[in-house]
This record gives sequence, C-alpha cells and structure tokens, in this order.
Amino acid sequence: MSRNSLSRRSFFTRSGALIAGATLIGPWKLNRAYAADKPLKLGITSDASGQYANSGASDRRGMMMAIEEFNAKGGILGRKIETVHIDTETTPATGTRVAERMITREECGFLIGAVSSGVANAISQVAQKYGVVYLNTNSSSPSESGENCHRVKFVWDGNGTNFAKAAVKNSIDSFGKKWLLLTNDYVWGHDTAAATRKLLEQYGGEVIDEILVPQGTRDFSSALLSIQNAAPSVVAAAVGGDDQKALRQQVAQLGMGQKPAWINNQQDWPDVYGLPLDNLFGVFGTTWYYKLDLPGVADFVKRYQEMYPDTAMRVPGNVFYNGYMSTRELLRAIERAGTTSNIAVIKQLEGLKVSAEDRMQHHDAWIDPNTHQMQQTIYLATANEGTQDTDDMFKILTSSSPQDVEDTDAAGKCKLESYDDTPTFDA
Amino acid sequence: MSTLLPHIFNGLTLGLLFALIALGFTLIVGVMEVINLAHGSLFALGAYFALTILGGGWIEGTAVGDWWMGVPLGARYVLALAFGPVLAGVAGMALELCVRRTYGKAPLYGLLLTFGAALVIEEAIRVGWGTGEKSLPLPQAINGAVLIGGLIFSWYKLFAAGFALIAIAAVWLFLERTPYGAIIKAGAHDSEMVRALGYDLSRLRSLVFGLGSALAGLAGVVMVPIWGLRPHLGVDVVIPAFLIIALGGVGSFWGAVIAAIMVGLAVGITGAYASAWSMMSMYLLLIAVVSFRSRGLFGRKSALEV
Repeated sequence: MSRNSLSRRSFFTRSGALIAGATLIGPWKLNRAYAADKPLKLGITSDASGQYANSGASDRRGMMMAIEEFNAKGGILGRKIETVHIDTETTPATGTRVAERMITREECGFLIGAVSSGVANAISQVAQKYGVVYLNTNSSSPSESGENCHRVKFVWDGNGTNFAKAAVKNSIDSFGKKWLLLTNDYVWGHDTAAATRKLLEQYGGEVIDEILVPQGTRDFSSALLSIQNAAPSVVAAAVGGDDQKALRQQVAQLGMGQKPAWINNQQDWPDVYGLPLDNLFGVFGTTWYYKLDLPGVADFVKRYQEMYPDTAMRVPGNVFYNGYMSTRELLRAIERAGTTSNIAVIKQLEGLKVSAEDRMQHHDAWIDPNTHQMQQTIYLATANEGTQDTDDMFKILTSSSPQDVEDTDAAGKCKLESYDDTPTFDA
Repeated sequence: MSTLLPHIFNGLTLGLLFALIALGFTLIVGVMEVINLAHGSLFALGAYFALTILGGGWIEGTAVGDWWMGVPLGARYVLALAFGPVLAGVAGMALELCVRRTYGKAPLYGLLLTFGAALVIEEAIRVGWGTGEKSLPLPQAINGAVLIGGLIFSWYKLFAAGFALIAIAAVWLFLERTPYGAIIKAGAHDSEMVRALGYDLSRLRSLVFGLGSALAGLAGVVMVPIWGLRPHLGVDVVIPAFLIIALGGVGSFWGAVIAAIMVGLAVGITGAYASAWSMMSMYLLLIAVVSFRSRGLFGRKSALEV
C-alpha cells in the first residue's frame, strides 16, 4: 500500500515536473528564458569588414545612440541595456555563426543589424529557430519581406521594389525607354533588378541588357565598355557598398556620369560621404536626409554630433537613421508590452504606427503585419550641385508616400510562421 | 569584331597589371623555393604606406599632416610610388628573418609561416589604418579619360599598364643583365656553390625576399586606385598571383608574364560577354592548362619537386 501510495505521489510529482519542463523546453520546439534581474543584452550583428563595413559602422552608431538614450532614462523595464557586437563580415555563413553564438553563448535577448540581405537572411533563419526577435535594419532586398520573411524578423529599410516604384516611371518619361541593368550578383541585386524589369514592362520600357557584377568587383572597365557599346538611355544600377563606391569613381573618371542617365536604386550615405560631387551622378533613392526641412531633424543631427564628435562622418545618413529608428521602436515596443517575451513584443511591433513627425519623414509610417516591413516615405535625390557645404551632398527631388511605392507582391510571397510554430522566448 | 577589340585591349592592360602582381611572387618562389602567402598582404601594406605618404591614415588631421597636404599632390604621389614599395620591402626583409628557420625543411613549414604572417599583417593594418575602404588620390595628370576608337578608357589604367610594362622590363634587365641578377639566379640553381664562392647566402636571400616584397608593394600602389584599398585586399591578390605562377610554370619569368596576360584576356573578355563568369574564367583557364601540362606553360622541373 505504502509502495502504491509512494508510486502515485512519485507519478504525480514526475508528471508535474515533466509538464513544467515540456512547457519550458518542449520536445517540439525550443523555448528559453533568461533571468529578468540581469541587464537586457542586445546582440548587434553588423558588418565591420567586407563590402558593407562602412555602412555597418554607421548602422551600429545609430543603434548605440538609441540605446544610450534609453539607458540615460534608466534602461528598459528597470533593466540596463548592454550590447554585444560581433563582426558579420558581410558574409552569410559568418552571419549564421554569429547569430548562433549570440543566442546560445552570449545570451542575447534580441538581435539587431544588417546591411547585406544575404547576411540578414542567414541571421533571421537562426533567430526564427530560437524565437529571438531580429531587426533587419538596413538590408533592402524585396525577398527580406517576401519569400524570406519570418515571424521574428522586422525589416526597417525601404526595399528595391519601393525605390524602383519611386523612380522607374518618371525616369522612362524623362530619359528614355532603353534600359540596361547593372546588377550586383547576389540576392539584393537580383531581386531589385527583377522589380525594375517588372515595372519597365508595365510602363513600356525595355531592358536591352543586364550585366551581372560579382560581389567584390573593383575594376568595372569591362562593364563600362559594354555599356558604351550598348548605348542605353538609362543604366539602372543595383550595386552596393564598396563596389558601388569603386563604380562611381570609375564612371566619374571616364566622364560617363551624365550620359547615359544613371538610376541608382538606393544610395546609402556611407557609400558616398566624402566623395567628390562629380561622383554623385544620376538619380538615386533614400529614406532620409539630414537636411530635410522637418521638425526634429536639426535636433537629431545635433544629438548625433554630440555623441560622435570625432567621427569622420560629420552628419548622420539613412543607414544611421534606420539603425536608430529600428532600435528605438524595438525598445518602445518592449516598454509598451511590459515584458521582454518575444510573442508580446512581436505583437507590439506588428501593430506599430509612427507619425511622420516622430519619424522625421513626410508621411506617416507603419509596419505591415503581413510582411513585417516598415512602410515609409521614399525620397528621390540627385547631387546638390553648387553647394558650398561639403556635407550637403543631396538635393531631394521628390517624396513618395508609402501607399504609392508599396511592394504589393511581398504579401503574396511572405508566409510568416504562426505564433504556435515560433518558439517562445523571454529575454 | 569591332565590339570585341576594346575588350581585348582592356584584357591586355589588365594582364599587364596581373603580371606586375605576380612578378615579386614568382621571384621569391623561383629563387627561394618559398611560396610566400603573405605576398598579398605585403601588396596591401605597400599601398597603405603610400596612403600615409600621400597624407592619409596616421598623419591625417595632425599639424604635420596639414603641412604635408600643402605639398603638391604630384610630388607626394611620386614619393609614395617610391617609398611605399621600399617600406613594403623592409617589412618583407623582416618577414624573411622568420622564414629562415624553415629553409631546408618541408615546403609546408614556409607555407604555414607565411600564411600566419599574412593574418598578422592584415590585423596590423586594421589596427593601424582602420577597417574601412580607402582610396589613393591621384594627380590630375594621370587621372581622367581618353578616347580611343570612339570609346572612353581610363587614363590611369593605361598609365598603370605602361608602368607595369616598364617594371617588367626593369626586373628582367636586372636579372639578366646585371651581376646581381646573375648571383640571384645562381643562388636559385645551386645555393651551396654560391656560398662556396664566397657570397653571403643569408644576405642574398634577404635581398631577394625584400625585392619580391617591394615589387608586391609597388603593385599595390599602382593597383589600388583601380581596386580600392581595404585590409583584406591581400586575400583578393594572393589567389590570382598564385594562379598565375602555377599557370605560367613555377620559377619561369616569362611564363608568369604570359600567363598573366592570358588571365587578363580571359577576365576582360568574359567580363564583357558573361560577366558573372569573369572571375571564374581564370580558374577554368588554369584547369584547362594543367590538365594537359601539369607544370604549367613554361615550367621546368620545379625546385619544389623532390
């Protein structure tokens, strides 16, 4: 009898422990929780070397300014915010290793940062496996909020389709129908070129050739000779990072910046800051500029200069802006949720709406809950000829509302994992 | 054909630049039987030294830097072109002091040591000059564009190719027409006999390593305005350099030059017609050649073979 009673007690005790254990670590998915009295650790997954080293540094500075501002107010939910940064080297395989290490060894509660879409995709797969919320701050392949979307990932930059929508129709009308695509040979380049092709077909343009440029290309002479032979009306370039810097220098050196017309899908500020103005030929897209005549912009620039008095880049650009805005919105979402539990934070971000004034853009912005991409104002700009201020390099030409440049194909391609299929995680 | 010709011309200029990169590499392999995997890092180091001489890097923003920036760019560029390679050569000679311990041992030791040295140099560059991309400013006289056959070419690239041609000729003349060249070649052929004749073999090896490294540095200063400058540039450089000497035949001066021109043509022409394959084309060329001739185009029995 006593043996039966003991067995029954033992049975219930063990069953209870098993159920509790299954709830936390479950056989079907991995669930984690870190102690709430420890500082909140954010993993910064930005490039410090490779094609996007410069942009990675700018992205990181943006995140750090947002974090510093929260820490100055006492942290988040009473916890100090700490950061760990590991170089993702503009390499997807490194991105995977860094994400694994940050989650499993460094115990980071959230991951933030990307410029390369290949790296962002690699990080987000690991983040989804563990249920860790990940902010893709600055990579802009349409696939990031399309076929490569994830429940834990939020994309903060405008994507190739957004920028192409802002530029293609007007450029056909202004410069002509014969287009040549100059495309970085990786996911962002391909997706952006595909978006441009589709819009060209829609508006009566024609792609006469596409030149694929391997990542890391520094000598564009073959491509530039081919462009001269093909004589297009417009070259639509989707070349990023240091590759783009080399391209711009070589095009300017050959005096090819005016003819043909150049449309650069998106122009990241760190890629051109400090270059001579004749390198800044053509029309290009951006999500923000430090001279926008909007409330809050001047103060934002001042805060940047106070925090980074020694940086070579004297004014913030779009990459810094995205790094800052994404981190700020994540921390605000945690505050609103009142918890660092991943599902609660995800739900807060899925319902995020930010006023134009708060984002220092011309139109209100919001996160699309079906694709997790920030819908925002897209600007077209060109070189600010005749300026005496060496920092004031852009002249903003147009601002398009999020509705006008929406990536309408993304929702059809994006299949977000269900909440149930996303491991629970509390940082 | 009219559209192919510019790409052939472009490929030839590219080939001459590749030859310049491979020159120091083939000299060290041919004479010293050391595959110097730090060659690419010395290439980058030469360019970083040149950047500092031109007024960037360490002295930027200092009082000395401000004064130096007042000197005309042309003069600073000439000094950078001269002293960037010299400093890379000195670094190479320092590296040779470490490599000495591997002489007479299996080639793997030298290979591993220079691989480690490449990593150390790359990290030292990151610490000294930062991780970002840099560019070397060019004097106006060699900048800009030139119209050839109705097409626009980079004036600097033509200058660089011409400079490479002169450097190739100078190295050949040095090796073939001077007593120093004769001693170096004799050292490669039979080092013990050279020692028996009273020549200091250690000093000879140090000078050859220094010369090979200075040539790497020279290639760096010349190529960086085209390729850009970043700490891991050495990796981008050492692979084509190694490929070129394998293709041309280890230790063959003209083999390296002809292989470099073939690689330049392959990269230039595929860059025009199948651009995604442009970098791959050099590897396919190597596979095609070594499939039929394992010692490369002009390779004699290598000193590495036992």
